[in-house]
Amino acid sequence: MYLSETPKMAVNVGGIAMKNPLNTASGAFGQGWQFENFFDVSELGAITTKGVAIDPWPGNDGPRMADVYGGIINSVGLQNPGVDGFIKDNSEYLENLSEKGTAVICQVAGHTLEEYQAALSRFEETAPWAAGFEINISCPNLSAGCAWGATPESAAQVIKAVRPLTSRPLLVKMAPVNIADTARALEDAGADALSVINSIPGMAIDINTHRSKIARPTGGLSGPAFHPIALRMVWEASQATSLPINGMGGVTTGAEAAEFILAGATCVSVGFAALSDPTSPIRILRELTEWVAAQGASDINDLIGAFEC
Amino acid sequence: MSQTLPSYLQSVEILQNEQVAKNLWRMVFKAPKLAQELLPGQFFTIAVADEPRQLAKIPLSYATADKENGTVETLYAVVGPGTEALARMERGESTEVVGPCGHGWKVEACKKRTLLVTGGCGVPSVLSAAHALAEEHIPFDCILAARTAEHLYGQEVLNTTGCGDLVLATDDGSAGEQGNAAEITEHLLKRVGGDYYDAILTCGPPMMMEAMAHVAHEHDIPCQVSLERRMTCGFGACATCAVRTVDGMKGACVAGPVFDAREVVW
Repeated sequence: MYLSETPKMAVNVGGIAMKNPLNTASGAFGQGWQFENFFDVSELGAITTKGVAIDPWPGNDGPRMADVYGGIINSVGLQNPGVDGFIKDNSEYLENLSEKGTAVICQVAGHTLEEYQAALSRFEETAPWAAGFEINISCPNLSAGCAWGATPESAAQVIKAVRPLTSRPLLVKMAPVNIADTARALEDAGADALSVINSIPGMAIDINTHRSKIARPTGGLSGPAFHPIALRMVWEASQATSLPINGMGGVTTGAEAAEFILAGATCVSVGFAALSDPTSPIRILRELTEWVAAQGASDINDLIGAFEC
Repeated sequence: MSQTLPSYLQSVEILQNEQVAKNLWRMVFKAPKLAQELLPGQFFTIAVADEPRQLAKIPLSYATADKENGTVETLYAVVGPGTEALARMERGESTEVVGPCGHGWKVEACKKRTLLVTGGCGVPSVLSAAHALAEEHIPFDCILAARTAEHLYGQEVLNTTGCGDLVLATDDGSAGEQGNAAEITEHLLKRVGGDYYDAILTCGPPMMMEAMAHVAHEHDIPCQVSLERRMTCGFGACATCAVRTVDGMKGACVAGPVFDAREVVW
């Protein structure tokens, strides 16, 4: 559709200026460069890179994924090369992407408070091009990783521990539990924005072998199957705090991205859809822009949280 | 490490899709650019329509890439809702494909005489190797293994491609020799001697790959294995298809699917 007047799509997510609200979910977009053959990644408002810890993590054993109704469950377990390995391999590309006007958000992982601190400090030194950091306290595939995000108190503890280490915006990748209380605790602890929501623990059983279809009993469910749940959580978070929200969960079309905006998200991240259709982020951005225009709005900011109950 | 990947998204038209053996289907689709670019042992991922249990594209190795006619041929087994939906697709239907994906056979490592070994639905990848070896005028033999005679497919193609000795094997002895691919390979290598082949290229189920790596190691023959893993993207973005190697976890989609057998931690 050709638009006679393109609406203003720029948003600000807790201090991260984005030329449009399209972001990518960590773990579903590699480090960005994997998608350059499918579309011009610099057309996106932001990308969020795969979670990285201070030291390399091997991740979980395979199989790490299974196809399920409406999506997949995965159990990657945050395989990553450590901050130094990540910087060595990706810094040049990400700096260049940042110079083209796409905000680069680096996700930070850890098992302990000390590990979170060490990883963020190392990023702070080595990634001057990063627009902000997303602290992952909710990986569903780590024995310890989910624990930090499981209660408001422990979630806040992580943010309090890392907050003094950077003046750049901190997003928090929340666990899909106790949204309102945790969101308020994170706001008090100094978070700048909330990433809502991480994949939801699920299961898939092979009925012939009686074993899990992945190497662990449970994995994170992602894909369109959990979009309505993620949408509800974004709305709950937006009711509970004044922090901007990076909404995500099963977005495959501009319409689903628009639902997140109406529910109170300032930007929207594409996850599973980028893996199943690598051109989808740019299509979703186009469809979202068309929706804003079709609403008669000149600025997407006027539609953020416009849900009426 | 950041690199330009060869994969891109394209719409393709299905020309043929038929069952050719017990639980083996053959699909041919029109994809002129992909047919030009696919290298032996590489793969692509293909979308199926109207199957909510299979939203990710399905990774498949190709058997033949016909540069002149612009067609790509693949073979696949029906193992779940996704491949059931694939088998339902008809001539004239269009779908989306991402490819070429991954690193395939290192044909340049085959100089003297190569042994191809395939079992189950590993056939297409090995057929792509056969075409490549024939083009380079490198002599090769093949062990083609399956569960039963009804499951066997590929004899005709291998013979017309110029395969030397073609050894058929089935688990139940209903065709060719009775035994699994690795056992038959072991017998063959004992008979011809360790120096007869300078390379083994093999593709099949995970247990067969491990057994083949072991046999090749015993006989000190460089062995390339094409590994099957569950994948989500196929182009290095999700880390779901990891293979444990001596250098750590590597994605089967970009570092593989073909690995040096000695590189894999079995």
